[in-house]
Amino acid sequence: MSWNKVAVVGAGLIKMGELFDQSYEQMAAGAYGAAMSSVDKGRPEIDAAIVATQRGSLWGQEGIGGNTVPSALGLSGIPCTRVENACPSGSDAFRIGAMVVASGVHDVVLVIGVEKMRDKSTQEGLLARAAAGHPLYNRGETAPVLFAPFATRHMHEFGTTPEMLASVAVKNHHNGCLDPYAHFRNEITVEQVLSSPMVCSPLRLLDCCPQTDGAAAVILTSADRAHEFTDKPVYVAGFGVATDHPYLHEKSTYVGLPATTLASRRAYDMAGVGPDDIDMAEVHDCFTITEILDIEDLGFVEKGKGGPASLEGETALDGRIPVNPSGGLLAKGHPIGATGLAQITECFWQLREEAGERQVAIRNGVALQHNVGGRGSGVSVVNILTRNR
Amino acid sequence: MTSTLRPVGVVGVGAAAPNLRLSQSEVSRAWSAGGGRGVLAVCDADEDTLTLGWQAARRALDAAGVESGAVSGLWWGTTKPPFAEGPSHAFLAGALDLPSDIDGALCAGSPHAGMEALLSAWDALAAGHAEVALVVASDALVPGLGTAGEAATGAGASAVVLVALPGDSNGAGPPAQLVTRASRTMAVVDRTRGDDDPGTGDVYDPRLFREEVYLPLVAAAAEALGAQERWSLSDPDGKLASAAAKRLGGTLVSVGAHGAVGDAGAAAALLGAAGALGAPGSLGVIGYGGGRVTAVAVDVRRPVPGADDVGAALSGGQAVGYVGALKARGQLRPQTDPIPMGVPPGGAAFVRGNAEMLALEGARCAACGTISTPPSIHPHCINCGSTDLEVVRLARRGRVHTFVVNQTMPPPFQAPLPLVVLDLDDGARLMVQGISADAGALAVGDEVTLVLRRYALERGIPVYGYKAVRVDGGGGTAESASAGAGAEAASTR
Repeated sequence: MSWNKVAVVGAGLIKMGELFDQSYEQMAAGAYGAAMSSVDKGRPEIDAAIVATQRGSLWGQEGIGGNTVPSALGLSGIPCTRVENACPSGSDAFRIGAMVVASGVHDVVLVIGVEKMRDKSTQEGLLARAAAGHPLYNRGETAPVLFAPFATRHMHEFGTTPEMLASVAVKNHHNGCLDPYAHFRNEITVEQVLSSPMVCSPLRLLDCCPQTDGAAAVILTSADRAHEFTDKPVYVAGFGVATDHPYLHEKSTYVGLPATTLASRRAYDMAGVGPDDIDMAEVHDCFTITEILDIEDLGFVEKGKGGPASLEGETALDGRIPVNPSGGLLAKGHPIGATGLAQITECFWQLREEAGERQVAIRNGVALQHNVGGRGSGVSVVNILTRNR
Repeated sequence: MTSTLRPVGVVGVGAAAPNLRLSQSEVSRAWSAGGGRGVLAVCDADEDTLTLGWQAARRALDAAGVESGAVSGLWWGTTKPPFAEGPSHAFLAGALDLPSDIDGALCAGSPHAGMEALLSAWDALAAGHAEVALVVASDALVPGLGTAGEAATGAGASAVVLVALPGDSNGAGPPAQLVTRASRTMAVVDRTRGDDDPGTGDVYDPRLFREEVYLPLVAAAAEALGAQERWSLSDPDGKLASAAAKRLGGTLVSVGAHGAVGDAGAAAALLGAAGALGAPGSLGVIGYGGGRVTAVAVDVRRPVPGADDVGAALSGGQAVGYVGALKARGQLRPQTDPIPMGVPPGGAAFVRGNAEMLALEGARCAACGTISTPPSIHPHCINCGSTDLEVVRLARRGRVHTFVVNQTMPPPFQAPLPLVVLDLDDGARLMVQGISADAGALAVGDEVTLVLRRYALERGIPVYGYKAVRVDGGGGTAESASAGAGAEAASTR
């Protein structure tokens, strides 16, 4: 039996991209407005908010905290807390928001993710992590270094090929063309991926997600009150979080991410479903190899078969298990704190069959959302949503 | 008095050269000058006089069969230590895992420093203050751009292990013994670097230096030493040693090392003699620097362990152009500010962690055997959670489990940068950097050895740690062929 104590009654996001013309606060207001206007009936009064922002430092504006966002939304005064849990910050904020509502302390909770990736230059922003962490055992560890060793080993053990990796980027760019909110809305070919510059072998430029500014928001209330706001609520069926060691040399395997496996097992148990029940999934495809690891670790395909499954279209919009119909992080973008909530929004639309051209077939009424990240991919969050009460 | 002094023997020798090789002609062409057919060894961005000295010392200790814990003193000669003022000696001793109560000295200030280190060690052993001395001579000078010295300055290191002998020793004795010595000093200014100078500059005309300084001083010291069958001479410009050798008689043995690495400064005389310690006979070692010459006579009776490996230690290297050499030596840098290290070398984390980084320590779990690295951030075993942990030195060899080559990093990083996850021979797993020279050849299963390199020069402070270097031949194909179930089992701890 699904948990189903909490429902999503509204969800929305802003068009992702390099939003040099929008402030952090303006992006937040855009996502909040989109979520509020998506509510079918009435206008919910927000009792509390949780904001997910992973990188708390912008130019001269250190520590984006729990008080920044309510002020920007005209909600100053409400309780608000910032959640940071690496790349799953948004999905973890969602999970915490659901627990807050379920606790009965707050009735209507706004969970909002906002991230500025481009206000700092690439060198001072994303790439600067090469110098962060342990002076020896993390030195040189830019974001692709967290995943590329898994690609090397996956290729070594299972014969996964660069073409298989590329097929993930090709599929997600295709889906992105059908998503008006996606950062990239252009088709690419396997040949283009394979001829793009090497970023961190064996990952090339088009194996990597872009740096994207963005914001997304959802409105949660108790399952009992959901019909006050919509006739088509989407329920929180279950969730799971798991951690793993933070250093890359502490991994028990380099062909999978155990945090994902553990988090999904907890979420499946809580939701009372299994991988075969999932109609569609929004998973963490920061790099092409990550999606291949994800679909194996989440149980959609057998370990080692993620490459061929991707190449053969099993994860396409009309495939056996559609993965990342929104375009994923690779095409829609990865504004870190907003990413999980943008994925939840896509699941919300898909389960309500409002996704337009990229709508997938909903058979069981169950969708899965997943992030993994942090040092050594040491934290993963899985949320399972359902339209079945 | 002299009868109370103990004789001193040489029981091991080692040599090291940096990764890069620059043709002298590249330097000449850059400055529109003619000539230069030789080769200069140049430090890669992660090498310096300390890492070169470490490598030579490791090899000398291994050749001598002497454990780090048995060394009673470290005497290190280098013109310009990595810290102009600071803990250079302590860092090298720490990286060599020498006991904390060691004796010794850091000799610096001119290329004569290598000979000063040798004499100081000799004195300490002879006087009975030490039993086993490690003498390291290394240099990686940064020559001033466009100076005459630029087309001669190389880099390299040599180390010898000396032991005190019983005064009445007969029988086999050591493979080689220090016999006698002579020094000459003259207050002249030749090559100097002021506090504000980025590199070493020449003051004198080369002919003036040759005729009035180098040749007379070398001749005087050599005469005091007496005739030798072979000579190793430091050679600041590549032509001086042969000119001096003609006057001295005997064979000039230092041409080989000089041809391989150029002028190795404070290391030059010992490095030039290192290979010759492999053949019996008399050997005069003469080092010059800063207006001083010291000559030491060595009586080689049997091949000194390690001497046969000197040639291989100096050969190879990766060709680099002039611009590449300037970047590697830090003489050509982007105007962009380098990304600062998140954990600054001045912070407490380095006080807690520097020793375990220099000695490459892990924490072995008494309950399950898993090694968690490094100890200071692992109060609990990563596998079973036990707190019953023993600090151990990690193995220095292993195999590549997986790896990447990072091509995209901000300054001060230089691509290509391999990052390698290793299965060490003691069962520990470790991710460390590889070296740029291996970037194109790495494969899963490759055999690697760990060497000390400079991970960063952070706000002027060098940060040292170990990097994986591919052992010749790699061996990756063997495991590649057996990929599959076996490899998967190996990937699960």
